[in-house]
Amino acid sequence: MSVLSSTEVLRPGPTGLKRLLMQGVMAAMPFAFRLLRRLKPIPRFGKTYVVTLYDDVREVFATDPAFGVTYKEKLDIIMGGEPFFLGMGDTPQYRADTAAMRKVVRPADLPLLAAKVEAQAEAIVAGAGGRIEVVDMLVRRVTFDFLADYFGVPAPPGGDLRVWGTRLFEYQFVASDAPLLAEVAEIAPALRDHIQRQIEARRAAPGKVDDVLARCLKLQKAGEPGFSDAQIRTALMGFIVGGPPQPPMVVPQAMEQLLRRPDALRGAQAAARAGDVVLLAGYVREAMRFDPLAPGLPRVVLKDWTVAQGTRHQRTIPAGSTVLAAFASAMRDGRRVPDPERFDPCRLPHEYIHFGYDLHQCFGIHINNATLHLMLKPLLKRENLRRAPGAAGKLRKNGAFAESLTVEFD
Amino acid sequence: MRQTTLSVALEVKPESQVKLSALIDRLHDNGSAASAGGPGDYAWFMRGVPSVHFLSMSMFPGADYDPLFVLEANFDGAPGIFWGQLEAAIGIDLRNMLRCCKRPLDPCGPLYDAVTAPDSRAPVAPYMEARSLEPSVYHHGNRGMTRDRILAESDLFRATRTEIATANGTGPSPYRGAVTPADIHHHLRSALLPAFPWLAERAPARIPFFTRCGDYLKVAVFALLVVLALALPGLILAPLMPDKRFFLLLAFGLIYTGIRLYMIREPLPGTDTAGTFNLITALFKPQTLVLILVGAILYAVLAPLITITISIMTGLPLELARQHAPRITLFGLLSVPFSVLLILCWLRYLERRDSSQDEPPIDEEMVRQMAQREDWIPQNHMGSVVLIKPGVLRTIIVRAGHHGLGLVLRAMPNSGVRGYLGSMRTVHFAHWAFVNNGSRLMFFSNFDQSWESYLDDFIEKAHVGLTLAWGCGVGFPATRFLIQDGASHGRKFKGWARHSMAVSRFWYSAYSDLTVDQVERNNRIANGLRKPSLTNKEASAWINDL
Repeated sequence: MSVLSSTEVLRPGPTGLKRLLMQGVMAAMPFAFRLLRRLKPIPRFGKTYVVTLYDDVREVFATDPAFGVTYKEKLDIIMGGEPFFLGMGDTPQYRADTAAMRKVVRPADLPLLAAKVEAQAEAIVAGAGGRIEVVDMLVRRVTFDFLADYFGVPAPPGGDLRVWGTRLFEYQFVASDAPLLAEVAEIAPALRDHIQRQIEARRAAPGKVDDVLARCLKLQKAGEPGFSDAQIRTALMGFIVGGPPQPPMVVPQAMEQLLRRPDALRGAQAAARAGDVVLLAGYVREAMRFDPLAPGLPRVVLKDWTVAQGTRHQRTIPAGSTVLAAFASAMRDGRRVPDPERFDPCRLPHEYIHFGYDLHQCFGIHINNATLHLMLKPLLKRENLRRAPGAAGKLRKNGAFAESLTVEFD
Repeated sequence: MRQTTLSVALEVKPESQVKLSALIDRLHDNGSAASAGGPGDYAWFMRGVPSVHFLSMSMFPGADYDPLFVLEANFDGAPGIFWGQLEAAIGIDLRNMLRCCKRPLDPCGPLYDAVTAPDSRAPVAPYMEARSLEPSVYHHGNRGMTRDRILAESDLFRATRTEIATANGTGPSPYRGAVTPADIHHHLRSALLPAFPWLAERAPARIPFFTRCGDYLKVAVFALLVVLALALPGLILAPLMPDKRFFLLLAFGLIYTGIRLYMIREPLPGTDTAGTFNLITALFKPQTLVLILVGAILYAVLAPLITITISIMTGLPLELARQHAPRITLFGLLSVPFSVLLILCWLRYLERRDSSQDEPPIDEEMVRQMAQREDWIPQNHMGSVVLIKPGVLRTIIVRAGHHGLGLVLRAMPNSGVRGYLGSMRTVHFAHWAFVNNGSRLMFFSNFDQSWESYLDDFIEKAHVGLTLAWGCGVGFPATRFLIQDGASHGRKFKGWARHSMAVSRFWYSAYSDLTVDQVERNNRIANGLRKPSLTNKEASAWINDL
């Protein structure tokens, strides 16, 4: 069966000893980071340097002239050679492309998106009959549905946007093996064609829908630069690949962290029941800090650069190396994050680096901030929320991806 | 929670001082909405830097040095967290301000380069951390009260007022008439508990037991070191001479220094303030005697260490050294009075030749700018930088004096615990610190009421400590025996203090309408309300604060 018609969102993960080993490594990572922060804040592993301290991680993210993003090569394959701003440095084209997209992805959309997310999550939870699998049945479904609607990219005929988006995401950010590359070679052109067809169909019959695609076409018609077919298609591809695959990873992880902390779970439930979405967002954001999307983000070193210059742990990193900016470690650096092992839902914004920092900070940060916690809100409002018995009640991971977590409620 | 006071003092490029002033003023204007001179509302700063109680930025011009930019901060928790918050709130402004400052010639130079390079993205916090100065003496009013607790208890106070004024609408007040104090407490607690659920929790300790023990221990160790230093003549001479000769020398030394001291004890013409306080009575105060006794006991306990030192220095076998140790220890202790008299003679000799400035020049424009920013709210701020008198003895005494004063202030029941500076109840945070490689002394204070009344308070109630801490300043009014006269010269002292001050261009207070006394009052009310019930007697005392 072609991957285009597959319904398996995640590829089969490692099993047996390899799986156990990977879980052990992931579990030991916070401890390893703590040691590194104290003993060797910028260690080298082959050609990769890991930056672990809060200040240094922010410096790496902020210093884009020296630390370039590593995404271009793979983006070219996904986008068919069309440039997408995620793969660019701080160039005029980067500024123009992001500015263009900010004209169609607007702050004013956030309340409506939040309402949609909460309503859909509520409907799913209400229909679940007291037991629900959080990753696929709740978060992934909600995320892909509301973002597909918002972007104006419906499911491809005979295909599943969740599968396509997640595989492309895996290729772009996680793995590079040959089987995955073969799948990408099928999915990427198919998704480009699908989006292009949507563009043409909408142009022919605009309708009254107000989504990102419609806004792009309106600006295209008005002659606004930055909205050619290729640019619209590439941006929408980028949004689909970089956006909806992430909440199903990180939101269930946050749920797992809340389940591990009865006090925090009670607090989050009280906030959800009281409708205090600001506090609820704080709980989810803080839970994510204990198991963020990834340990870090890679950057390629464009020129020799001394990180933490003038400090005792300064280190010159040669051009051509890779730097892993370990934001998971940075968010638990007690030098800048007060009492980092304490669960505190009222932390200050700068103590979080979930969505990167500075130039390449996640384009969807505001959408995430407005919606992630609302995916869990209906669930948290339920009485007697608990893990399902047995292994199903514990978060199962497949490599970097959350695979399943089942909870029950009354 | 730990409270921290620190400052960062940076030399400014002379050509950039106007620009730096403008940058600080812009930051001030950005936050100030309430008044022209006060700290305004600074809501963004309040949210972004929630650990801060008080923060100021000033620039001190001076004829002897290039201008000095000083950021002074008093906050809850560890410095690293504070700098992280400050960078997130005003990192861009801070970087621009640093660019107006000189590159340090010490090992911080590369860090400065990284932070101030064109288009630099290096974090500012590590540089500020590296340049932070520890105060030589500091005082924390309302000690142990975190900013959040002060604000929460202030809200509670306001709520109590509203509740007492409006309870039961137009009907009879449940707080008046034939109600017992215990009933008032019960009513008030029941009414406020829903809005202030933390009243059901036990109050966090303002000063944890082990911190308190640490305060006392530090004073004890300081007393020991002072005794040890004063015992040095005996410790050195004892191995070199027989008993008789030592006692003869000691007696001669005591008589000679005693006579000399007696001869120069009087104040110089025109410098006597007729204060009743003098060094002799201070030395024989019960607290001082206890301190000396603690130091002497600890010193005696050091005999084994003295044994080992003798053995190492003389090459004597340990057993032989042990036999000599009690004698040497005793001789050391006996020489303490001689050392004290000798130091006082030397000090008095210097004091009699010190220059004090009768009319320090005051920059009228500077005074106008200061006056423009003072007295907008119940609190005020002052910053001052003075030159330090030269000399070995002064250098040792001022440092040891500051260190000891700081430790004693921390341990004293009426300042370290209650949150007041002795009988002064107006100081929120104050500190001294040495700058310019120890050649200048900086003083910062956040206080209640006007500058004039604050200085009057100092002159009346804390002139001894003030003279000890500030008497090393060039031009300070004439002092006698380190702690007498000095700040008691009210008019001269005020003139001297004013001329050393600079405009507090940016000044932030997290609770600008609260006095030190009001914070303590709010705390007493809150502590009472935290208790589920009070006896009538307890409630009668508690009710006085309502």
